[in-house]
Amino acid sequence: MNMVLEVSGLTKQYDGFRAVDGLTFSLAEHTATALIGPNGSGKTTTLSMLAGLLRQSSGSIRFSGTGKDPRSAIGFLPQYPNFFPWMTATEYMELAAGLSGMGGRDVRSECEKTLGFVGLGDAGKKRIGGFSGGMKQRLGLAQAIIHRPALLLLDEPVSALDPAGRREVMEMLKELGESTTILYSTHILNDAEEMTDQLLFLRGGKLIEKGPLREVREKHGGSGYRVLFSGQEAAERFADAVPWAASADGSAVMISGETVTMEELLRFASEHPAGITDIGRTAVRLEEIFMKVVGKP
Amino acid sequence: MSQFSLFLGKEWREQARSFKLVWVPLVFIFFGVLEPLTYHFLPQILDSVGNLPEGSDFTLPEMTGADVYASLTGQYQTIGLLVLVLAFMGSLSGERKSGTGTLLYVRPISYAAYYMSKWTAAVLLAVVSLWLGYGMAATYIVQLYDHVPAFSDMVLFLLVLAVWIGFVVTLTLTASSALPTGGAAGAALGILFIGMMIDSLVGTYWTWSPWKLQAYGLAFLTGSPDSGDLAGALVMTAVLAALLVLFGILQARRNAAKAKV
Repeated sequence: MNMVLEVSGLTKQYDGFRAVDGLTFSLAEHTATALIGPNGSGKTTTLSMLAGLLRQSSGSIRFSGTGKDPRSAIGFLPQYPNFFPWMTATEYMELAAGLSGMGGRDVRSECEKTLGFVGLGDAGKKRIGGFSGGMKQRLGLAQAIIHRPALLLLDEPVSALDPAGRREVMEMLKELGESTTILYSTHILNDAEEMTDQLLFLRGGKLIEKGPLREVREKHGGSGYRVLFSGQEAAERFADAVPWAASADGSAVMISGETVTMEELLRFASEHPAGITDIGRTAVRLEEIFMKVVGKP
Repeated sequence: MSQFSLFLGKEWREQARSFKLVWVPLVFIFFGVLEPLTYHFLPQILDSVGNLPEGSDFTLPEMTGADVYASLTGQYQTIGLLVLVLAFMGSLSGERKSGTGTLLYVRPISYAAYYMSKWTAAVLLAVVSLWLGYGMAATYIVQLYDHVPAFSDMVLFLLVLAVWIGFVVTLTLTASSALPTGGAAGAALGILFIGMMIDSLVGTYWTWSPWKLQAYGLAFLTGSPDSGDLAGALVMTAVLAALLVLFGILQARRNAAKAKV
């Protein structure tokens, strides 16, 4: 798999304070990676260094196949994008496109197309000063993708949006993810769960956990099974009878996936079918993993 | 389109939509109108609002056109410079502080194009405003005063002052590139007024200095300047301005990391 970005020992040191401490990771082409961590864990500093805004104190950042200036292959959306309020959305997009090296007659139509993609097709001629927070966030995304970057860096891309707006933007990002590599920070873990090939957990500037979601899940509690019953009594009887770690929770019994396979569970259930209405898999939620990994002192 | 053209277009739009394109020239035009009118009608003004004791009698010197230009230049040296510094002190620092610069700095931009577009727009606005102010003053001076300077001397005077104003704007933009907005205003005004103080104290021995340009310019209206000193002062100003531009570009690049994210 082609690597778009390789980061090694990335460190940012301020006076007496290390905001980012020796991060090493890589991003494969057309993958989405979520940068997760509590406030002050170094997510924004990391993204700022990757975007070329901040110079790292040590370590290396290597972009592949980006030509002379890697910034031409990067799209960046800060958490709170700030625009010139006196500009219209189309004027801003044309400026962004021009500064990213785009030229020619097609620029205007590309800008209009991109504004349409983010749902601002009708707002192109309006001044940005009159935009709502959600519209600014969409424009922020539009300016980040106008030049079709190989790598999209997004700092909390949906945190300022309402649930409907968040859903729309997540759908857009999923569509973009098919042709672009995405690295985004978030504290909305449901979103990370939905669009992630790789997780990077940061705490105190250090990378404390990384890997594909499935591997991280397996490492931190993995998956399990949930058996539903017609009543609480049947559930409790079943929980007492199973030879594996299990706990009854109302009319459901939760069984750890580490101790039993689905085949074994189904065999046991066929031998003790009383009151069973449903058997399914459960996965440990990312929020639980977050609390486990990041919440550790 | 080159990055310089893109940035210059942006600066032009910003000046128009923030009304800087209107209020900066208006300030210069206001003083350009006020100065010749005030001196011409001073006796009548004193009579009507002076509240002087009965029998007071003043002999006011007769002002020539050149005297009024000199007085107006004095106004522009204080209020005019203050207006220019205030107008341009946040040109770069403001974009860092507000975060509007962040989305520019993450692109493969040339900081030379970024700085020079601001410089071009600011110098043009400042010089045109100054010339409009003197132009407005000239329309009244020609009507109301005797001994009006020759047109060719006026042109030379305005060209020399344009170099001085260009230096002032360059200093302000570079201060804005290197420092936060408040510090930029303080540094620019401090350097300008300390320079004026030094010029007034030891100016006789400091003939090649930007601070001498307005005096050399005025000399075109009252007689003829020492061409050797004028050339020296122009070269010195150009060299200092070029160094300031270079420093400003480097600082713009260096301070991009301070932009609000």
